[in-house]
This record gives sequence, C-alpha cells and structure tokens, in this order.
Amino acid sequence: MSTRAVARLGEVVLGAVVFVAALATWEAWAHSAASFYFPPVSEVGREAVDVWPSADFLSAVGASLKRLAAGYAIGAAAGVAIGLAMGSSHRVRRTLGPTTEFLRALPVIAVVPIAIVLLDDGDVMRIAVIGFGVFFPVLVATVAGVRGVAPEIRDTAALLHLGTAGRTARVYLPAALPTIFAGLRTALPIGLVLVVISEFTGTGNGLGVYIWTQQFVFNAHGMYAGILFLGLLGFVLNGLFVGLERRVLAWHYEAIGESLR
Amino acid sequence: MAERVARDSRPSAVGEQGLLRRANVTGLLFALGLLLIAEACVRLLDLSDSVAAPGDAAGALVQGLADGTLSGEVATTLSTYVEGLALAVGIGVPLGIAIGSSRTVESASSVVVEFLRPIPAVALIPLAIFWFGLGAPMLRFLVAYAAVWPILVHTVYGLRGVDRMLYDVAATSGVTGAARIARVSVPAALPSIATGIRISAALALVVCVTAEYFVGTEGIGHYMQDHGVAYRLPELYAAAALTGLLGLTVDVALRSGERRVLHWVGEERARPR
Amino acid sequence: MSPSADTAVLRVKRLAKRYSSDGPPALVDVTFDVAEGELLAIVGPSGCGKSTLLRLMCGLLQPSEGVVLLDGEPVTRPSGKVAVVFQDYSRSLFPWLNVLRNVAFPLGRDGLSRTQRAARAGAVLEEVGLEGVGAKYPWQLSGGMQQRVAIARALASRPEVVFLDEPFASVDALTRGELQDVLLDVHAHLENRRVTIVHVTHDIDEAVYLADRVLVLTPSPGTVAASVEVGLPRPRIQTATRSALPFLDVRNELHDVIAQARR
Repeated sequence: MSTRAVARLGEVVLGAVVFVAALATWEAWAHSAASFYFPPVSEVGREAVDVWPSADFLSAVGASLKRLAAGYAIGAAAGVAIGLAMGSSHRVRRTLGPTTEFLRALPVIAVVPIAIVLLDDGDVMRIAVIGFGVFFPVLVATVAGVRGVAPEIRDTAALLHLGTAGRTARVYLPAALPTIFAGLRTALPIGLVLVVISEFTGTGNGLGVYIWTQQFVFNAHGMYAGILFLGLLGFVLNGLFVGLERRVLAWHYEAIGESLR
Repeated sequence: MAERVARDSRPSAVGEQGLLRRANVTGLLFALGLLLIAEACVRLLDLSDSVAAPGDAAGALVQGLADGTLSGEVATTLSTYVEGLALAVGIGVPLGIAIGSSRTVESASSVVVEFLRPIPAVALIPLAIFWFGLGAPMLRFLVAYAAVWPILVHTVYGLRGVDRMLYDVAATSGVTGAARIARVSVPAALPSIATGIRISAALALVVCVTAEYFVGTEGIGHYMQDHGVAYRLPELYAAAALTGLLGLTVDVALRSGERRVLHWVGEERARPR
Repeated sequence: MSPSADTAVLRVKRLAKRYSSDGPPALVDVTFDVAEGELLAIVGPSGCGKSTLLRLMCGLLQPSEGVVLLDGEPVTRPSGKVAVVFQDYSRSLFPWLNVLRNVAFPLGRDGLSRTQRAARAGAVLEEVGLEGVGAKYPWQLSGGMQQRVAIARALASRPEVVFLDEPFASVDALTRGELQDVLLDVHAHLENRRVTIVHVTHDIDEAVYLADRVLVLTPSPGTVAASVEVGLPRPRIQTATRSALPFLDVRNELHDVIAQARR
C-alpha cells in the first residue's frame, strides 16, 4: 500500500477509535452512575434493536416520511416557481422583496400555533408548516441561482426568441439548477426537523410523536432510541439526496471538474 | 467535513439592498396592500376565530410592549439566547481552530462530529428536559448545541481555505506553528467565522423560542403557547411578528459589527489593478 | 565575471527536482553561484522551472538531488537571511493589517521592541518611496504601490538575499518601469550595503535592464543553458540604457540562446 493510502487508513482508524472510546466512557460512567436519565449505550442499543424493526415504529416513521415528502414537495415547488419569477424580474423582486424578507425572518415555530388554530392539529397543519419552512431556503437559492446566470447566457437566451416562459424553463432553470440544488439540500434537514417539531404536539402517529411520548412516559431508552434513529434518518436522507444530485447535475460537476463530497 | 457552506454575505439575499436600505416604495406598498386585504377579509368575513386581523395584532403588540407583559418575555428570551450563543462561540471557535489546523485532531474528531451533527437540536428537547429539567439551563444547553455546529463548520472551512501564498509569506518571515495559526490562519479565517456566527445566531433564536413554546415557563415561546392555547390570536400574532423583528435586528446588528471589525474584507474584491 | 568561490553568497550545486517518481524531472543538474551584492536575473520560457528554482533556493521547497548553500550552510527551510517578493501582491499582503504592520510582519524574530519595529518599517517604506502610507490598508493602494509594500516588507528584515518571483508581471507597463527603477535604487543604496538580488522574470528586456548577469533556463527538463554578463554601466536609465547598442547586443544574444534551446 502506498504511504498515502496508509495515512488515510490511519486517519479513519483514529476517528473510529476515538468514537469507540467515547462510547466506552459513556458506558462505564452510565453503569457507575446508574442514573435513570443516562442509560448505558448497551441498553439503548438493545432497545433500538427491539424497537426499530417493529411494525409500530416503522409505521410511525412511514407516516412522518409521508408528511415530509408532501410538505417538502409543496414548499420546494413554490420556492422554485416564485424564485424564478423574482430572480428574472427586477420589478417582481422589488415588489415581493420586503414581504418575503420579513416572512423569512419569522422563526417557523412562530407559525406552528398560528397553523394549529387555522388548520387544526393534524396532518394538514404539519404539511403546511413543513412547506413554509422549506419554501424560504429554496426561494433564496433559486433567486441567487437565476441572478447568478452569466450575462452571456442571458444574451444568448434573449436572441433565441423563446418568449418569457420558454426562456425561464429552458435556459434560466437549468443554468440555475446547481445553486437551486444547494438550496434544496439545505431545506432537507429543515424539513425533517419541522416534521419532528410539528409532531411534538402529540396527536396522531409519527417519529416525533414517538420521541415525545417516550419522554412523557419517562422511557429513557425509548427516547434515546428514537433520537438516534432520527439522526440516522437525516444522515441517510442526505446521502440519498447527494446521490441524486450527482446524477442530475453530472454535467455541471464534469464541467467544473469538481467532486462532490 | 468539507461541506459546501452557504455564504450569506450580502446585505439581503432576496431584496436588492435589503429591507432597511433604500426606500423600496413598491415593495412596502405591496406589503401594506396585503395587510389591508387581510384586515378587510377578517373583518368582513368574520374570521376572527381562526385568524387575527393585522390591526388587532398591531394593537396587541403595542399593548404588550407597553404594559411589560411581552417586553418582559423578550428580555427573558434574549438573556437565555445570548448566554447560549456565547457558550457556542466559546466552544465552537477554539474547537474549529484546532480541527482546522491539525489533520490529527480532525481525524480523531471526525466520526464523533459526523455522528452528532445530523441530530437536530430541537429533537433533543425531550433529552434536554431529562438532563436539566425545565428552566434556563435546559434552554441554554439547547441553544448552545444548535449554535455550535454552523460556527464549528464555518471556522474549520475558514481555516482550511486560507490562501497558501499567505503561508509562503509566513514561512519566509519566520512565522511558524502556533504563531502562524494566531497571526495568519485565524485572521484570514475571520470572515468565514463571522458568517458562521451570524447563521448560528438566527438558528439559535429559532431553537430557543421553539423550546420555550413546548416546555418553557417563560419567554416569547411560552407566551405564544399560552395565548395560542387560549385562542388569544392577536397576542399570538404579535409575539410571532416580534420574534421575526428580533431576528432581523440581531442580524442587522451582527452585520454592522462585522463590517466594522472586518472592514478590510469586501474591499479586497474591489481592489484596483 | 562569474563569482569566485570566496565571494559567492549563494551556491547552487547539481540541483534536481522531481515531482513524481515516474514523471519527467522539473529541474536537472542546475549549477551556478551568486556573488555577494550581485543582481542576478533568471529568464526562460514558461514552464522551464524558474519558479521551482526560486522556491528551492529560498528554502520553500526541498530538492530531490543536489544542494543549495547559503553562506556555506545548506538551505533546508527559509531562513531569516532571505526574503521573497511574490508576483501576486494582492494575495501576498495581509488584508487585515495596515501597510506599516504588513511591512513589520517579519520583524518578530529579531528581538526588536514594538517602537523599533515600527521605526524600521517606516524607514524602509521611505526607501521605496512610500512615506506617509503606513496607516492605509492594502486595498486602498494601487497595484504598483502594493508591490512596493511587498518589496519594503522583503527589505525590512535586512536579508542577505532577496528573491523576486516575476514581481512586475501583474502591473501595467508604465508602473513596471517605475518599479524596476525602485528595485535598482534599493540595490544601490540600501543603508550603504549592497543587497544580493535574484530576480526571476520572463521579460528579457527587463532582465538585461536590471541585472549584472543573466542566467538562461531552458525547459524539459529545466537546466542552465547560458550565463551572460550584462556589463552595462550603472546607474541604468530607462531611456538611455535601453537604446544603447550594447543593451541590444546582450538582449539579442539572449533571444538567440532561448530560440536555440527551443529546438
């Protein structure tokens, strides 16, 4: 093995060793402290192995994912559509600007109680909240992407006599796609968090409901197991998204000779 | 950890110069128009059970600030928020410098960091209650946990992105090791660190108010929960609007402080040749 | 005259640099001396390894074979006896420091107090014609002035040898002339001692105008093709010197050497 490969392997091993050492420390301390609130890793692991594959848990996760998908799709579609309009027209940008800036500054949690009153505590409310949260990063990224399109490309588009709709769909959108994808990627963990938060109200079925209920009934193991799964879910979703992005934007990454990490 | 990091360094990502700069008459008229339409709809269609009229909300805002109910909560939230944020900076920046300047530290911490990072702070609300009970320490922990990640990522990113030529200059000037980190790497990374702090600040406020909403006994979030449950909609909307304004104010304040300390940055790009 | 062993401050012996074990070497069997107080120019087409040679000589890079001796000691890392001026001044000046602090940056290792450092920096700024600019920041200066700051910084630590890596390639032609004369001024007058200068450039005219001697490097692999004495009287003048016949002779000779080496 070349020295570089050995060095890389060493780095990975070092990281793994530190991680295992951290887990071992937790385990030892949790056993000695015997605190209800800090169960040992082994017990949490056992609970996870029991709970994760169970039908109830999986159906809860499925329900959450469905809401996420719906809210994400709506928020992203709206964000791209309005973003394209704002990005290509100075007038539209100025008109909608202050309103979108202010709404963007509202923390989404402020929207939850308003949504609950308006739509009642349930799936519709949750999807609306997710959509609201996903909308803004996608909007910002789309506007930036369209505005960042090179002037040469704009000029070429203008000369092609495509009409506004044609130009937007066939030139601006593809050209802005890499930046739009960056926004979509940022919006994904936001969407996931909002699913969980919106489910902390406790009604119905879902991963957030599960975590909240576990805390409510003082089941520490279950709660840890739920949170761990959430982290894992976020990791996996991000990985899937990156894979998708690499395929859709293959032309872009080849052109700029960059590899996506 | 070489994640592509969003550089939100312009005054406003959407408007031309931002809400508070030039007088954007069209935009403000549009916003005003929307509010008037909303006001009309709520009154005429008698929707006041589900939606608050903007006029009522504005009234509740003024009232709440004047009689101290809302303003008191703002003060509480702000103090917890600032403490949590300070904690995040105190941990995130030094840790980021260590990780950014040493491959060994980076490798050692990589697995632990990549494991913890995807876990959203708000998902830890139940955990935080378990550990700290209800009250300020729990909130401070959550705020700090949420804020530390963008700060850490941006600090590492800033240190990694230092122009190698500056290291050549340092080498030929006899500045190496820790001195180089202090005198070259960190100043060069400051713009990125500042962006990380700004992003964290926005995120931390959201997390703070969210936690207050679900389990707080005081603060803006609790105020919203309280009034929401009792269907006191104008107060609820007022609190929501105020939180938005608070976020904007913090952002503006940070940007202006950033411009002062980092006066040498943007100009770099406008350099004459 | 090439320097004899006693007056040579810098000696390069059979220097070779290989970046990968199976690829072609960047430099091969490079040998020459630099006399104390000499202004040596190194010219060659792009890709011939001029910058690599410069980095090897000042210690930023380690050779694969051969050695660089500074005052008889092998060069393993950049020492306090050398200073470097890079081509891209906008990236080599620290944007967060004002001009005075930029110039004073290398002075930490000399054991001077803060006032002494500031005084030395101020003095050297005057030498390059930038008095009164100390409080400004790099972005506020023109390209030519920024490069002067870089030169001042190189001189501040009173090095024995100053290396310049195509320092005037990024400025406009008019400024280039000014900066060339600043360099000549510095070479002649700095505190009554002659500084040894190694100046890498792709501009043959510049090399002849500035130097006592010009080394020609040829590419693939990089090696010394010729060492040409310039022999023109000092002080050099942009108009008179450049139109003198001996100038043209040397210049043409260098062009021929390079053209020959291309075949």
